[in-house]
Amino acid sequence: MNEIGQYIPFLIPLAIAQVVLMVVAIVHIVRHRHYRFGSMALWIVVAVVFGFIGPVVYFVFGRDRDE
Amino acid sequence: MRGYAAFLGKELIEAVRTYKLFLMLVIFGVFGMSSPLLAKLTPQMIASVVSPELAATIPAPSAVDAWTQFYKNVGQLGLVILIIMFSGVLANELSKGTLVNVVTKGLSRGAVILAKLTSMVAIWTGSLVLAAGLTWVYTQYLFGSNALPHLVVSVVLLWVFGVFLLSLLVCAATLGSNNWVALLITVAVVAVGLVAGIIPAAYHYNPLSLASQNMALITGTVTLGDLWPAIGITLGLIVVLVAAAIGIFRRRVL
Repeated sequence: MNEIGQYIPFLIPLAIAQVVLMVVAIVHIVRHRHYRFGSMALWIVVAVVFGFIGPVVYFVFGRDRDE
Repeated sequence: MRGYAAFLGKELIEAVRTYKLFLMLVIFGVFGMSSPLLAKLTPQMIASVVSPELAATIPAPSAVDAWTQFYKNVGQLGLVILIIMFSGVLANELSKGTLVNVVTKGLSRGAVILAKLTSMVAIWTGSLVLAAGLTWVYTQYLFGSNALPHLVVSVVLLWVFGVFLLSLLVCAATLGSNNWVALLITVAVVAVGLVAGIIPAAYHYNPLSLASQNMALITGTVTLGDLWPAIGITLGLIVVLVAAAIGIFRRRVL
């Protein structure tokens, strides 16, 4: 696994981008209690478990359009 | 013209407020960073997950593999995300009826279509440049070189194909008042292109070649000359689709 260690400087920005995406989604989910479908718990699980696609799915399909 | 500029401003503000710009940049940024990393780390991952013996049989990854990953991510999933992200381009405002006010106050319907298209193309351009730029930088550091022929041209072709998809999406969106209609028509047209891809010689003329022959172009199995008809047809279709979108939108009920 030492070989992977040398790539950590390259992996950090990638991880930051993914975490930012997740945090923005979770903040949005918590602050807007109305969704097109699903509940707050469902969307938080989706955003956390499906690291990269989850937040995108939430913003495209889950967010209530009129806000 | 002033109406166009004002509506374009409104579209861009909307893209920021609905997180569309943010999402596109983060997604394409992640694609851009992960493509070379994935290419570089694949042997190590196979060695640690499957077996070191199997990993030893795989040739050492190179800059070509990094760009192969780039076109896999951006050229497939990236385009899907682009289309899904903008599938509500007209449907949202048609269902809320907010376009009625501005159009009756004198904003031309052509300006609405063109402003929407401009903002989508601008976001697509920024996202693609970001992804390609990050892949370039990462490849430079991880593999030491980006010395591949036709690298810029192949990215430009992907960009043209993205613009084609967005024109198609806008044109399809003028036909219905539901974002699924736009999405379905766009997917149906791409499916027709994919089916046409079964005919080997069709790639000369198929717009889909602009998003599928990029690596062939870089590795030299396809030359730019082979793709000129496809490029011409795609550019022609963009003009036709935008004209059709404006024509249909002028006649439809808001």
